[in-house]
Amino acid sequence: MTVVQFALVGTALFSLGLYGVITRKNAVLVLASVELMLAAVNINLVAFDVYLQDPLYSGQIFSLFIIALAAAEVGIGIAIILMIYRNRQSADVDELKAMRG
Amino acid sequence: MLTLDYHALLPELIVAGTVLVTLVVDIVTRRKHLVAIIGVLGLFAAAVPILTLSFCGSLDFCSSTEASRVMFGGAYVIDGYALVLKGVFIFAGFVALLLSIGYLESDRYYEGEYYFLLVASVLGGMAMASSRDFVSMIVALELVSGPAFMLAGWRKGDARSNEASLKFFITGVIALALTLFGVSLLYGLTGTQQFDQIAVLSETVADVPLFTLAVIFIVLGFGFKVSAVPFHFWTPDTYQGAPPPVTAWLSVGSKGAGFVALLTVCYLALPAATDVWGPLIWIVAALSMTVGNVVALKQTNVMRLLGYSSIAQAGFMLAPFGAVAASGAGDLARPFQATITYFVIYAVMNLGAFGTAIIIGQRVGSYELEDWGGLSKYATGVALSLAVFFMSLAGVPPLAGWFAKFAMFRATIGVGNWWGYSIAIVAAVNAVIAFVYYAKVMKSAFFDDVPEGIDVDVAMSDAIPAPIGLAVGLAVVGVFLFGVLPGLAANVGNFSTDLLGTLGL
Amino acid sequence: MLNQYYGDYITVAVFVAIGAILVGGAVAANRAIAPRAPGGFKDVAYESGIEPIGGGWNQSHIRYYIFALLFLIFDVEAVFIFPWALQLEFFSSIGSGLTVLVEMFVFVGILLLGLVYAIRKGVLTWE
Repeated sequence: MTVVQFALVGTALFSLGLYGVITRKNAVLVLASVELMLAAVNINLVAFDVYLQDPLYSGQIFSLFIIALAAAEVGIGIAIILMIYRNRQSADVDELKAMRG
Repeated sequence: MLTLDYHALLPELIVAGTVLVTLVVDIVTRRKHLVAIIGVLGLFAAAVPILTLSFCGSLDFCSSTEASRVMFGGAYVIDGYALVLKGVFIFAGFVALLLSIGYLESDRYYEGEYYFLLVASVLGGMAMASSRDFVSMIVALELVSGPAFMLAGWRKGDARSNEASLKFFITGVIALALTLFGVSLLYGLTGTQQFDQIAVLSETVADVPLFTLAVIFIVLGFGFKVSAVPFHFWTPDTYQGAPPPVTAWLSVGSKGAGFVALLTVCYLALPAATDVWGPLIWIVAALSMTVGNVVALKQTNVMRLLGYSSIAQAGFMLAPFGAVAASGAGDLARPFQATITYFVIYAVMNLGAFGTAIIIGQRVGSYELEDWGGLSKYATGVALSLAVFFMSLAGVPPLAGWFAKFAMFRATIGVGNWWGYSIAIVAAVNAVIAFVYYAKVMKSAFFDDVPEGIDVDVAMSDAIPAPIGLAVGLAVVGVFLFGVLPGLAANVGNFSTDLLGTLGL
Repeated sequence: MLNQYYGDYITVAVFVAIGAILVGGAVAANRAIAPRAPGGFKDVAYESGIEPIGGGWNQSHIRYYIFALLFLIFDVEAVFIFPWALQLEFFSSIGSGLTVLVEMFVFVGILLLGLVYAIRKGVLTWE
């Protein structure tokens, strides 16, 4: 296995996530797509860390922080989406049109 | 032996302690205003070590040398730049907290958690100012925006507040993912997360296409955070929908954190890529000024107008930086100073503008411009304060805004080539456009008739809440101080780069 | 060396093949021997002999979200404790073991404060 293969998986995952973010209408699925993007970053970081034999392991440490950040973000995101769902019985991003201009 | 300079870390430690104490107090007491008081006191206390650190050279008890302020292997640095920005974040948090106290009293919300989240967000801003590697920077950035996502949606039953929150959240996390992907590529190329080492190691990979891609991703992600055009679409909606004191914090604290991130990364980590991010920032600055100002012209809601105004101001702030970097000529320190000076002044006047808008909004019961007609006829003092801040934002001397614009123009024209001249022309045209809509608000407040349905007696029945009055008063003093003594603001800007120089960064 | 490396994989491949043959053979034998009597009642989901009510898609209560979040707090905490535990020995060898130990207690203390907050707000009581 070379680092390029990992980088390719990472890039593919990131692109899938980006595609999901752009095309999905349901806020929960947008959130899931963002998680895909963050997972891609983690794959990249760990692969590069091992490949470069970083003596500080900064890539792996960073990926731990990203896991924690992603967890916190899901917590916040689901809370916001729930709040919106309670008010309008829908979590559709396209329906958010209360403000214009 | 692990040694930490606790004096240098004291501001963060105090604010972190405040965050925890507000949470504890919130769960043990029913008197929620106690939480707010603790938050205010905590931020006030955190300002003290910032002052002692700034004037460390002339104080007897201050033993920390500059070298000892580089901590965690260079990942966390307390220098002049960090201190200036920490001061701004604390001031912004302080004002936002004071505005919130007056605002929350008039409605019923989850008060305790609100103050807890606001102070946590301030802590993120302070950590951001000192971050000198990507790990601490991203964590700090999330500490700023995470609480801000929730604060934006604080009015749970209000569809606009909900929408503000979700839009802010989704763009925020996408921006984070984009930045992080860029960071991961940069890490793959250089093998380090630290800015000073990236600056050295990236010179060898400067012509690798992947490096360019990484830089674009990083700048793109931060572009969302500073709400620069074309990544601005969420800003007006969020500013309009979020509770007004939160908007005040977003426009200075959250946006400021994005700015600090962008400036620090570009200046310290990516000097080898000025030919990539220079033109990018140049274009973004020109677009932000133009689009922000032109769209602001036809706004009827003051919060939305201030949102577009802050987009435009972001353009003014980035202009000198983009011009110098794009032309590849000269020292980046001068535009850096101009940008920091502009940011400090912007923070003060924008907070004041939001504070005044909140006072008026509470009296009139609306943020629609037409309802603000004839304000000076029944609330002269508030109308004058509005005039001070809006004229300052427009850049009228002797208010602080003119010096910010002056420093910006001096730095852009000082580049001495067409990158500089052309964006100076764009900025000059935009300054005129900006004046038009700020003056429109003035005209409405001073010359229009009081619209029907606004009961002057009701509007004037309550006194201005003391915390909001204090916050606006502080901002008025700041605007005049920086305007009449521009040397003060310039010194702040110089101080921020002086220490950067002595630390060899 | 390389032969050894691939030799390990051959063992795995053989095991996979044997597994596939055994399972496939059993299923095929079952098909061949067993009597087949398709009927409507056989397609119904098995619910311990009771007639199933409602659809297969079930909504879970939103309360589980809070529990998931609380789980997340401790899940993420563990992520940071592992590298810390690995490095603690190194830090005690350079004489700052106590500082690093106290730091982790501060970290866990902050997380526990979050749990205390959740308990005080009554999210752990199930009505």
